[in-house]
Amino acid sequence: MTDAIDVDSASVWPDDADDVDEGYLANWFVREGSAVDEGETIGEMQVEKVSIDVTAPTNGTVTEILVAEGGEFTRGDVLARIQPSA
Amino acid sequence: MATESRDYTEATETDRELTMSRAMVEAIAWEMRENEEVFYMGEDVADYGGIFSSTTGLLDEFGRDRVMDVPISETAYLGAAVGAAQAGMRPIAELMFVDFFGVAMDQIYNNMAKNTYMSGGSFSVPMVLTTAVGGTYNDAGQHSQTLYGTFAHLPGMKVVVPSTAYDAKGLMHSAIRDDDPVVYMFHKRLMGLGWMPSPPGPKTGVPEEDYTIPFGEADIKRHGSDVTVVTLGLHVHRALDAASQLEDDGIDAEVVDLRTLVPLDTETILDSVRKTGKLLVVDEDYQSFGVTGEIIARAAEGALDDLSAVKRLAIPDVPIPYARSLEDEVNPGTDDIAAAIRELHE
Amino acid sequence: MVSVTEMQTMYEQMVTARYYEERLQEEYLVGKQPAFDISAGPIPGELHLAAGHESSGAGVCIHLRDDDTVTAPHRPHHIAIAKGVDLKKMTAEIFGRETGLCRGKGGHMHLFDPDVNFACSGIIAQGCPPAVGAAMAAKKRNTDSVAVAFLGEGAIDQGGFLESLNLAAVQDLPVVFVIEDNDWAISMPKDRVTDVEDGSRRAWGFDMPGERVDSDDAVAVYEAAEKAIMRARDGNGPSLIEVQVHRRMGHFMGDAEAYRPEADIERAKQRDSIERLADDLRAHGVEDDELDEIRERAHERVDEAIAWAKEQPEPDPSTAYENVFTNPPAQTATDGGANTSDASSDGDEGGDR
Ligand SMILES: Cc1ncc(C[n+]2csc(CCOP(=O)(O)OP(=O)(O)O)c2C)c(N)n1
Ligand SMILES: [Mg+2]
Repeated sequence: MTDAIDVDSASVWPDDADDVDEGYLANWFVREGSAVDEGETIGEMQVEKVSIDVTAPTNGTVTEILVAEGGEFTRGDVLARIQPSA
Repeated sequence: MATESRDYTEATETDRELTMSRAMVEAIAWEMRENEEVFYMGEDVADYGGIFSSTTGLLDEFGRDRVMDVPISETAYLGAAVGAAQAGMRPIAELMFVDFFGVAMDQIYNNMAKNTYMSGGSFSVPMVLTTAVGGTYNDAGQHSQTLYGTFAHLPGMKVVVPSTAYDAKGLMHSAIRDDDPVVYMFHKRLMGLGWMPSPPGPKTGVPEEDYTIPFGEADIKRHGSDVTVVTLGLHVHRALDAASQLEDDGIDAEVVDLRTLVPLDTETILDSVRKTGKLLVVDEDYQSFGVTGEIIARAAEGALDDLSAVKRLAIPDVPIPYARSLEDEVNPGTDDIAAAIRELHE
Repeated sequence: MVSVTEMQTMYEQMVTARYYEERLQEEYLVGKQPAFDISAGPIPGELHLAAGHESSGAGVCIHLRDDDTVTAPHRPHHIAIAKGVDLKKMTAEIFGRETGLCRGKGGHMHLFDPDVNFACSGIIAQGCPPAVGAAMAAKKRNTDSVAVAFLGEGAIDQGGFLESLNLAAVQDLPVVFVIEDNDWAISMPKDRVTDVEDGSRRAWGFDMPGERVDSDDAVAVYEAAEKAIMRARDGNGPSLIEVQVHRRMGHFMGDAEAYRPEADIERAKQRDSIERLADDLRAHGVEDDELDEIRERAHERVDEAIAWAKEQPEPDPSTAYENVFTNPPAQTATDGGANTSDASSDGDEGGDR
C-alpha cells in the first residue's frame, strides 16, 4: 500500500501572503472516509482575510483531518491526509 | 432533466458537504451553463463574488456579460430585471441586503409582482430576486432585518428561505426554472462564510447532479410528538438545538422548516399540530402582522379543535438595535425557544 | 481666503480623524485575529473607516455652525469629527455602550447628534433628502442656516440623490451636496458603473453650480466649499461639489481588497492631503514644533475618548424596547417584550414602548 499523501497548507498558500504564517481553517467539505478526486475543492482556508480553496492533491480517500474546522494553523502544517486510490 | 427531491437523509449522504453559499452558486452555475438566457446582476457580484459569496467564481466562468456589476441604482436594475424577464430572459438580480428594498420597492411590488396578474396572465416575469437577510452580527437597524413577512404579504411573488445547503441548491434550481418571480432570501449567518461562522447544521451533503425542491413543501427537520415548532431560516437551527436540549427532559419537539412562505405548506403544519396539539412559531422578522400571526391563523382555521396551546417568538416590534446586549435581547435565542417549548409542554 | 489659523484648525481635525481611524482599526481587530469573525471583539458589526477622506470633512465643515445640518453616509467619522460631534459619546456609540450618542442603538453607520445637527444613513444616498428638508426648514423660518449632504461617488446613481438635486434646485434651498470620490464603491470602480468621470457634472442637469476639486488639497476644498456654503447662506440656492479623496483602507474592515490593483492602493497611500496641508502650513511659517503639538493634542483627545468609551456600561437589555416612539402609546399593537423570558418578567412598564 502506498503512503498517505499530505494536504500541505504551504502548497496552497497564496503568493501575495508571503509575509504571514498564520492561517485559519474556515470550512471542510469532506469528512474522514470521503472519496475525493484530484483537484477537487475539499476545504476553505483563510489567510489575511482572503479565502483560499484547499484542493485534493490526489484521487483517494480522506483518512485523517488534522486541523479542525475553525482551527488555526501555521504555514507548512499538514491539514489532512489522503490515501491515494490504487 | 432534474432529479426530483428525494428522501433528505439519503440524498445528503454524499462524500462531500457544502456550505450554503457554495450550494447556491453550484445551482446558479448549472442553470447558466444549460440556459443562455440566465444572467446575474447586482452590486459587487463580479470581481468580489458577492459580499456574502453568493456568486463566487461565476465571473471567471461566464464573463462580464452574464455576471454584471451594476450601479448602485436598485430601482433601475431591479426594474430592468423585470423588463428582461418579460422579454423572455431569466435574470437573477441581487439586492445586497434585503433592508435596501426601500429604494426600489415600486419595481418589486408594483411591477415584478403584479405584471402577471394585471396583464391578465399575458405577461410573465420569470426572474429571481436574491437577497441577504438577518442579523446576529450587530449591524443595526438598516442591515439586519429579514422582512420575510413584508414580501410574503404582497401577492405575486414566491418567497423562498433555505436553511441548509441541500435545500439551498434544490430551491435555487426551482427558483430559476420557475416562470414567476421568486424572492430568494438567504440568511447571512447560514452561508458558511469564513468571516461570519455558521452554526453547525447548514452545511450538509449536496449531490453533484442538479435536483429541484418543489415550492410549498415544508420539511420536518426533526420528528417529535410533544410540541410543534414551526420556523424558517437561521431559527431552524436554533430550534433544533433547543429540541435536543429538551430531549434529556423527555420533551420531544417536532421542528418544521417552512422552506417557502409563498406557497405555504399548510398541510404539513396542520398534520403536525393535530399530532402534538401545541404550536410554537419562531421567526426572526417583526412580530406583528407577520409570519407568526399567519401560521397561527392557519392552524386556528384548520385545526382549532386540536390546539391546546399556542406561542410565538419573533422580533418584538422594535428596529434591530446595534449593541450586542440589545440585539441578543430582541432576537429569539436557543434558550428562549427552549423555554417557550417547555412552557407549552407544561 | 483661508487664514493660517483656519488651516491649523483643519489640520487638527484631519489628524484627529486619521488617528481616530487608526486607533479604531486596532480596537476593532481585537478578538478578530488571525481568524476574522465580524461578530467577535469589542466593536460589533461592520466598520467603514475614512482614512484618506479627511480633507473633505475638514474643508467643508470649517464653514459650518452648530445650527447648520450635516448628513453623512456609512463612512461618517471624519465628517462627524469636523462637525464637532461629541467624540467621547460617538466613540461609546461605536463600542455599543449605554452612554453612546444613540444609547447603543445606532452604531458607527448611524450616528446622531442633535447638539450639532448631525445625522447619518447607512443606505446609499438616503441622507440627501433629509438634508434638503433641513434646508427647507431653514428657508421657511427665515434663518440663515444651511445643510450639507455628504455622499460617495457610488451614490450619485441613486434616485434619492438625483431627486434631491431637483427638489433643492426648484425651491432654491440652502443645501450643498458634497460627493467624496474615492474611486471605488466597494469593489466597483467608478468607470464601470457611472458614465461621467466628473461627478460634479450631475449639477448641470439641475441648473445649479457644480465644481470638482481634483487635488489632495484641503485648502482647495475649503475654497470650493466656502463659495457653495456662502451662496446657500445668502439665499442663492444649492450647489454640488465633488472632492477627490482616497480609500487608504478596505471598504470595510475585513475587506481583503483582492479586486483592487496593488498600484492603486499604493497611489492612495502616497496622495495624502494631511501631508500636503502640513507642507502648506510650513510654507506659511508654521514651525514643526507647532505641528507636533497639534498632533499630540489630537492623539491625546482620541486616546482619551477611546479609553472613556471602553469604560462605559453595556446597555441594559430592557432598553431595547425604549425609543420606538417619542410619545409611546400606552399599549402597542402587541406586547413587544412578552416573548422573551427576560422581558416578560418586567413586561409591565409598557408605557415606555
Ligand atoms: C441602497 C443601498 N444599496 C447598496 C448598499 C450597500 N453599499 C454600502 S456602501 C456601498 C458602496 C458605496 O460606495 P460610495 O458611495 O462610493 O462610498 P464609499 O464606500 O466609497 O465611501 C454599497 C453598495 C447600501 N448601503 N444601500
Ligand atoms: Mg466611493
